[in-house]
Amino acid sequence: MTMPATHTSLLYESDGHYASEAGSFIRDGLEQGHRALVMAPPSRLELLHAELGGDAAGVTFVEDDVAYAPQWKVYRVLLDFAAAAPGVRSCVIAEQTLARRSPAELVDYRRLESAINVVFAEQAVDLLCPYDAGRLPSDLLDIARHSHNGMRVGGGVSPNPTFADPMAVLVDLSDVAPPPTDATTLECSSRSDVAVTRRTVRARGAQVGLAPDLVDDLELAVSEVLTNALLHGSPPTLVHLYEEDDMWVCHVQDGGVLPVDPLAGVVPPTEPSDHGYGLWLSRQLVAAVDVGSDLTGTHVRLHVRMPG
Amino acid sequence: MILGAHRVPADLGSLDPGTHLCALEHDATVLDRIAATFVGQGIAAGDQLLYVASEAQVDGLVRRLSEHLDTGHALATGQLLTSSFEDVYGSSRPEHLGTVADGFRLAAQQVQKRGFPRLRVAARMDDLAGMLGSVDDVVAWERMSTHLQRELQVSSVCLYDTSRLDTGEAATIAREHDGLAPAVDVFPIATFLAVDEPWGVRVTGEVDVSNRRLLHRLVLSRAAVTPRLRVDLDGVTFADAGTVARLRSIAAALPEGGQLVLARVPAVVRRILDATGLGHERLRLEP
Repeated sequence: MTMPATHTSLLYESDGHYASEAGSFIRDGLEQGHRALVMAPPSRLELLHAELGGDAAGVTFVEDDVAYAPQWKVYRVLLDFAAAAPGVRSCVIAEQTLARRSPAELVDYRRLESAINVVFAEQAVDLLCPYDAGRLPSDLLDIARHSHNGMRVGGGVSPNPTFADPMAVLVDLSDVAPPPTDATTLECSSRSDVAVTRRTVRARGAQVGLAPDLVDDLELAVSEVLTNALLHGSPPTLVHLYEEDDMWVCHVQDGGVLPVDPLAGVVPPTEPSDHGYGLWLSRQLVAAVDVGSDLTGTHVRLHVRMPG
Repeated sequence: MILGAHRVPADLGSLDPGTHLCALEHDATVLDRIAATFVGQGIAAGDQLLYVASEAQVDGLVRRLSEHLDTGHALATGQLLTSSFEDVYGSSRPEHLGTVADGFRLAAQQVQKRGFPRLRVAARMDDLAGMLGSVDDVVAWERMSTHLQRELQVSSVCLYDTSRLDTGEAATIAREHDGLAPAVDVFPIATFLAVDEPWGVRVTGEVDVSNRRLLHRLVLSRAAVTPRLRVDLDGVTFADAGTVARLRSIAAALPEGGQLVLARVPAVVRRILDATGLGHERLRLEP
């Protein structure tokens, strides 16, 4: 019987505080024969490296630029790390530079932190998410306070009384945002319209100045989400294109009014399958993905950052 | 209005196997365009195509199609076959329509053996009435063809030059078909060509929910002949996760010793393989 996963946060006040808590977390894991993975900004990696000394040799370090590009990739890094040594427990530190995230990405990050409690519950992993309490604003520190059932304090873990039910958080964060009235809207009635939509997204994406790689990723993500809408949703199927704050949004809407599982596609199918990858793949491609439904239909919003 | 015209889709790629179409035009260049549309879209969809026409008509079609696909290659692999009317139907009235039908059956049986999903035939019918003797015989012939094609799952377009027919005959002939074949200038978004050496498939263009079924049935047809095959993706400008997932499934279902090699894999397919973790020991990536 595998010990269930743990998901703990650390609100650190200083470099020294970070190094001693994160360092003891990793050392505890290594001593018990666990594998260790650290995903963090370069400055944190350096601190931890120095703190661990010779023990650092047994730890996998990944910069947050890699592990969180885009944010949901962190799930993939976690799953791949676990899959490399089945049956061996992992201790994992996961932190990214939250200060540079856009509002849409931060909403998605809240989902990501809450969903971990459900989708990784049965995994043999101890996850520590450090938050820079000395620098981050309180609304970002609230993510730590609401999505972790334990807090690392003084080398141990205390229960977190402010932990919020993950599914309730996810449902709260699935409100539908209607497209603005000045959005460009395409109607897609047949499967051949997917290619037409790709061409429009490509042309408009280039117009707003998106980098070619970003356009490639967005084109793939839109195809996946639109294909899902055509195969599993109800007509009419619409694609709205618009700018919102610092993001460019491709918004796929279909007529399906049934509630959407907020955990759909946050992890890939467990067994290879002919389908079921669309939403997972989209989250691996674009900056943020909103999914929700109401009486106006099912809505999936794909966000990419506007240049500049 | 022709009975059964509902069987004709706007897009020939997804033509129901066994559909019996016709074209009735007094302008030979329109017939040329309809033939090129039917043959070009059929080849692009991965089927084997037989064009029954005069040498000059064949030359014209090859020239026209070469703007869109590697016609020389399709001729070399036998994905595009051409034949004269006499070679297929003979030059004199057959004793029995059944003899011709037997030849048809034989051709249809060869299709799967050569690694194609289905056979489609485009035939210039200019000499049929002359050979058979009367329009009544042509109608009997077409009626038999309809049944035979349904049975053999062979689609066709019968191309009639109406200037050679009497008033009313065109309508009589049309009634024996499922509908009229279109002439469209829009070429499909992807082309699926059979390759003999190394055995497999060459894909160009975009593969998505609208056409991935066509790729998969061609790959399956090739795999049924030789379970070691190479899918050349060099010309692929887009593919989606469903396309890649099904190629993996085909590889996973290959018999012992089988292998599906993805060659010249474009960035979009690598991205999908990487992000989905889809892989199998019988699915190999050629570096």
